[in-house]
Amino acid sequence: MPEIILALITGLTTGGLSCLAVQGGLLASSLAHQIENDVAGGTGGRQPRLALPIGLFLLAKVTAYTLLGFLLGAFGSMIQLNNTARAVLQFAIGIFMIGNALRILNAHPFFRIFSFEPPAFITRLVRKQAKKSDWLTPVTLGVMTVLIPCGITQVMMVAAIGSGSPLMGAALLAAFTLGTTPLFFAVSYAAARLGSALEKRFMTAAAVLVLVLGLVAIDSGLNLAGAPFSISGLLSTNAAPAQVQTVAEPTAAADPNVLTIEVKNNGYQPNLMHAPANTALKLRLVSNKVYSCSLSFVIPALNIEQILPNTGEVTLDLPPQAAGTTLRYSCSMGMYTGKIVFDG
Amino acid sequence: MIKKTYQIEGMECGMCAMRLQELEDMLPGVQTVEASYRKGEMVVVFDENLVNDGAIADGVVRLGYQVVERK
Repeated sequence: MPEIILALITGLTTGGLSCLAVQGGLLASSLAHQIENDVAGGTGGRQPRLALPIGLFLLAKVTAYTLLGFLLGAFGSMIQLNNTARAVLQFAIGIFMIGNALRILNAHPFFRIFSFEPPAFITRLVRKQAKKSDWLTPVTLGVMTVLIPCGITQVMMVAAIGSGSPLMGAALLAAFTLGTTPLFFAVSYAAARLGSALEKRFMTAAAVLVLVLGLVAIDSGLNLAGAPFSISGLLSTNAAPAQVQTVAEPTAAADPNVLTIEVKNNGYQPNLMHAPANTALKLRLVSNKVYSCSLSFVIPALNIEQILPNTGEVTLDLPPQAAGTTLRYSCSMGMYTGKIVFDG
Repeated sequence: MIKKTYQIEGMECGMCAMRLQELEDMLPGVQTVEASYRKGEMVVVFDENLVNDGAIADGVVRLGYQVVERK
């Protein structure tokens, strides 16, 4: 969920801009004929009918990208073989995002290698289409923007692959392109371009957002690999006083050897438990109307990967652990985490 | 027809390369423009009887970029 919201915010605030200069320009030129016709025909000073073609363009664009997100997510689910592969993929995505952010910030020409360049024949095809003036043009152009994704969109496409789920991939790209819509609509309607100083400031903000997304991806990779250090792990340790109520209380009254974790839409409760060492334990995972990736539960150190029901209960066996051992668990995307500390 | 490579400054993403292709429509005599953001350059095939370096550089400026060096 946080990733979808981040994607929406990226689109809403900044993502549209990197595409706007080109895609907006294409749309504006395809509308130029429409405006000329209306002016020649005398619309009595009314605005030319621009809202409909711009709306069609944006609708086609959002639809095409949602479908693309679905396909990329499906592709991601095929290549995600196991936990290790997912961790490696998250690392790669993180590096790609951070590289792209540094590219936008012009840190060094080297970072340009993180940019895809559509071949000249595709850009030529898209440009030619923009010169036609029928009603189908905005729709065709909207769909064609899939062929010329801008930098931030490319980052989102990679994130869709990394989600490893067709629905999550579709949701990510839909949220992102929907987010770009208001700005795109406003700017295309005004048929004006933002001043370059303002555009630069927006792009810097976009780069910072992408940098954050990159760090989140790398952090997810660390969690998935069961690494003892990760940003979210550090944050939860530092925030310990606020989580007193989440500290484990093994269900002593019922059975001291059963640990219970409540699986929530936004994580696991508790996310820190203490358990006796050298004892075989049961781990009870209880979910109630949960529809997030927290349902895909992993304990990397034990090679446990368990898909949980939306509502229900699953009990796993935990073999005896030596005193001082820490078992880390997380969702399969490494977003929600927790740990069990075995005390002597 | 001759083919020349120009070093371009001001490209900020792969899409700028597409914008530079507009030279094909703007300048009679320019046959093809293939720009690369990664390399920071563009390769232009043009008829030197119809268009010259200066006109191409002016066109690049009108699109919001700069020619920094002609190879």
